[in-house]
Amino acid sequence: MESLIRAWRLAHVEENGKLLASTISLTNTDLEEFAYSTNSARVAEDIFRALEYENNSARPKITNKNGLEAWAEVYVAFWKVSQSLERYDEVEWGQVFTGMKDLTQAVIRGFQNSGWEVWALEVLYTACKYLRYVAIRADEAKRAEGEDAWKQLEEAARIINRAFNVCLNDRAELAQSRKWGTYYIINLLFKTYFKLNAITLSKNILKALVANTTEMPDLLSFRTSDIVTFKYYCGVIAFLDEDYFKAEEHLEMAYKLCHKDAQKNKELILTYLIPTKLLTRRQLPSATLLKPHPSLEALFLPLARCIKDGDLRGYDEYLAKGEDWFVKKRIFLTLERGRDITLRNLFRKVYLAAGESKTRIPVDHFRAAVSWKSGVDVETEEVECFLANMMYKGYIKGYISRERGMVVLSGTNAFPNPSNTS
Amino acid sequence: MSSKDSKTPKPEETKEPKAVKKMLEEDDEFEDFPAEEWEEDETEVPGGGKPNLWEESWDDDDLSEDFSKQLREELKRVDAQKASGEMQR
Amino acid sequence: MTTPPWRAAGGTAVQRPGFHPVAVRKTLGKASTQASQPPTQAARRTQFPDALKAYVARTFEHCPSENKSEVEVALKKIITEAFENQTVWSIDWATHPLPTAARRASVDSSDMMDISSGDEASPISQQPSVNKLNKLGKAPNNTNNNVNNNKRKLGSRITSERNESDREVSRPDKRSKKLNTSDYSYEGPDAFKRLDRKYKRHQTTKNVFSQYHSMHSALDSPAFAPIVGRSTTLEKRYLRLTSAPDPATVRPQHVLEKTLELLKTKWKAENNYSYICDQFKSLRQDLTVQHLKNDFTVNVYEIHARIALEKGDLGEYNQCQSQLANLYSERIPGGHPHEFKAYRILYLLYTCNRSDMNDILASLTPAEKQDRAILHALAVRGAVASGNFHRFFRLYLDAPNMGGYLMDSFIDRQRLAALSAICKSYRPDVPFRHITEELGFENDAECEAFLVKHNAGQFIKTKQTTKGEGDEQQMVDKVTLETQKAMTTFEAAKAAAFKKVDIKGQI
Repeated sequence: MESLIRAWRLAHVEENGKLLASTISLTNTDLEEFAYSTNSARVAEDIFRALEYENNSARPKITNKNGLEAWAEVYVAFWKVSQSLERYDEVEWGQVFTGMKDLTQAVIRGFQNSGWEVWALEVLYTACKYLRYVAIRADEAKRAEGEDAWKQLEEAARIINRAFNVCLNDRAELAQSRKWGTYYIINLLFKTYFKLNAITLSKNILKALVANTTEMPDLLSFRTSDIVTFKYYCGVIAFLDEDYFKAEEHLEMAYKLCHKDAQKNKELILTYLIPTKLLTRRQLPSATLLKPHPSLEALFLPLARCIKDGDLRGYDEYLAKGEDWFVKKRIFLTLERGRDITLRNLFRKVYLAAGESKTRIPVDHFRAAVSWKSGVDVETEEVECFLANMMYKGYIKGYISRERGMVVLSGTNAFPNPSNTS
Repeated sequence: MSSKDSKTPKPEETKEPKAVKKMLEEDDEFEDFPAEEWEEDETEVPGGGKPNLWEESWDDDDLSEDFSKQLREELKRVDAQKASGEMQR
Repeated sequence: MTTPPWRAAGGTAVQRPGFHPVAVRKTLGKASTQASQPPTQAARRTQFPDALKAYVARTFEHCPSENKSEVEVALKKIITEAFENQTVWSIDWATHPLPTAARRASVDSSDMMDISSGDEASPISQQPSVNKLNKLGKAPNNTNNNVNNNKRKLGSRITSERNESDREVSRPDKRSKKLNTSDYSYEGPDAFKRLDRKYKRHQTTKNVFSQYHSMHSALDSPAFAPIVGRSTTLEKRYLRLTSAPDPATVRPQHVLEKTLELLKTKWKAENNYSYICDQFKSLRQDLTVQHLKNDFTVNVYEIHARIALEKGDLGEYNQCQSQLANLYSERIPGGHPHEFKAYRILYLLYTCNRSDMNDILASLTPAEKQDRAILHALAVRGAVASGNFHRFFRLYLDAPNMGGYLMDSFIDRQRLAALSAICKSYRPDVPFRHITEELGFENDAECEAFLVKHNAGQFIKTKQTTKGEGDEQQMVDKVTLETQKAMTTFEAAKAAAFKKVDIKGQI
């Protein structure tokens, strides 16, 4: 216990938020020692006395009696957490979670009522971060017993939401404002709401943020890790909202600023950026882009090739091959729209095959191209239907003459640049 | 009206590439970064940007590639078939 | 400085000062020795004294249902501590005070309701910091400016319209970080992974509470005992409940079963939808107030849903559908979950609800993907997505179960979309018969009525064409649709049709 509380003093003397946060971290290497350093009958007193001792040896003193009590609450809760983790044969995560809740709430109170300063925000981060981790472990344990819910994670979300408000609504001058903690906490909330499949709640957070935007420091003055994470989630939220241009903006920025070694995160960003750009710009990922990500490469590269080639059959095949994952990631319905471009490219090749100057091409040619390699003879009516759609959407300029079984193409620019079509 | 639907949907084969299988099982949470702060040269796309990340979804110039060639063969075949069909009639 | 041991171990160390670790101060650390008993009494602590069991039972007996989870937590705490302090066998459980939450009558549980609510109305910092006063003299740190310069480089690429005043505020963590960067080991991205390893995931062994859990569930009687009806009248008008249901007017299941048979017969004989719908609603209400959730319940909802579909009452259908989804998810036997999942897919096509469609696609099991009705619905979805109206109308004519009725709800919309594309692409016209066939009309008359209804009757023209060759050539009348002229009419009708997706009862 001594080393921990000593660190508490040092952190205050140095105004070192990270050091202070490390005293309530679950990965703290002194966790076991701390767990065995006292017992439940004496923990409150022991901790208070240890704090008092360190406080008295600091010049000037760190805090007053009330301040010590606030910190004692934190460490008593942390002790409960530590002993639930260290002193049982089997960790009972529900019990750890109860301790983490007390801990996090004590930390929130510290900021709200005891005047903890902004340099100490790391403590809030660490508390919320592990609260969430422990809640997930606790729910997983329950789920292993057959319960189908995330009750403890929902509870954690409520507490983290409180932390969010404590940051967002701080009215202190900016240099001393907890507003600096806003994005870290928002990102934790996003992660939590996504896990709970409660995306609407993420949107509520964004609304609250927008309402506060005038007093909020610019996003770009926050830590890069906060920016990238925030932009990723905003991008996915916009994507799910089918606001693809907004999604592109967010995801593009997340991708550019992403740390180059954060492989997994880059892949997550690209998972949504690829379908987004297909829709907004009719653009496809290049081999260069996909090379460092074999799993994405396996799914997207063949699909991209087929779209470009106008290989309709291949496109359908690769879309079906990745379908489970695409659907799970909620990108299937977006990727599906790539079929139009594939058809356009295929039909253009039929046109080119007939010779550049020819503007009258039998519907049968298009039918042959669509049926090709598919093993089915696609009916003329269906092919006409595809052609009609292409013309309707502006991919092809021309018309169908049913009587003659001909497609009559415009003499100029019969296949306009697809990026100009809606 | 003919009622036979030549494209009755059939169940997909459920063979997935290994990479996909692995990804399906993975948890997809955005991870904490190896650092909280980094400089521009550590970003994925620093300063001047990287070339060739994205391509257009159409490629209107390339005529020599395999797919186009094969397609042209196929169209010729279809035309020939049709012509011979008409001859027989 | 050599690598400190806590870094080598890979944990986030509590920061030691730069000097040698001091030996533990015994004066303060008097706690350590005796409290740290090795946890060896595993065998003993899995046993509950009978008195404790009775104590647990008593706790829940007096506990208001809304406090249950809180009480559970409190109980666990009491029991854990009793085990930990080895007092579990010595405490007089018969007189031990119950947890407070168990005694409290009721709590305001609003905080528990909405996981998004930050319940702090105005969390303005209440107290000025004691410390702040001490630090007023501190000049802002020089390093801030450097940091900001770096930062601007990064940011300016993304937005260029930022002005200088934005930059004046510096992030507070920069300063504190600067002070101690050399000796702080950043937790790193793998903190959770390390924890996962340390406390192994997916533990399956029973823990100390498993016995307690089973006790708990045995005691867990429903908060509101369902009423048991006594009415024997088969028919009953539906009335919205405004107070607690009266058992005298509620029919028990064996009566309701007769009611269902009667309703089925009457529906066949009279086909009176408003009567049937009303009766089914009262039937469903009686099921609800008696907490009846079994195969009969499923049957009732399914039949009502099908009748509603047949009559195009999508609001009522949707209410049944969402109840059915609950019932299926509780794995109540009986019923036709596949049939109704297929309806759900078609319904979402009607409402154009893409995000729910996403969810339902993600939820499909391999078995469901083999089901004929679901495959059909998926094929319909694919046809709509790709604008393949040819295929779409084929599927319409070939819909299993009641799927055709559901498709009726958006068939006109799809016809207008198809007509828009057709009128855009066919020149100079298109045979009228082609439209009848392609858009799934029963016959030319139905097709004509549809066109007339959408103010396109004027574009149907009869023209003379020649048929046959040489001597056999003859003039025939041919009915066509003037595509170019009709285009704007259909465009407008299509836009209007897609704008209005609004049904009562939608979730």
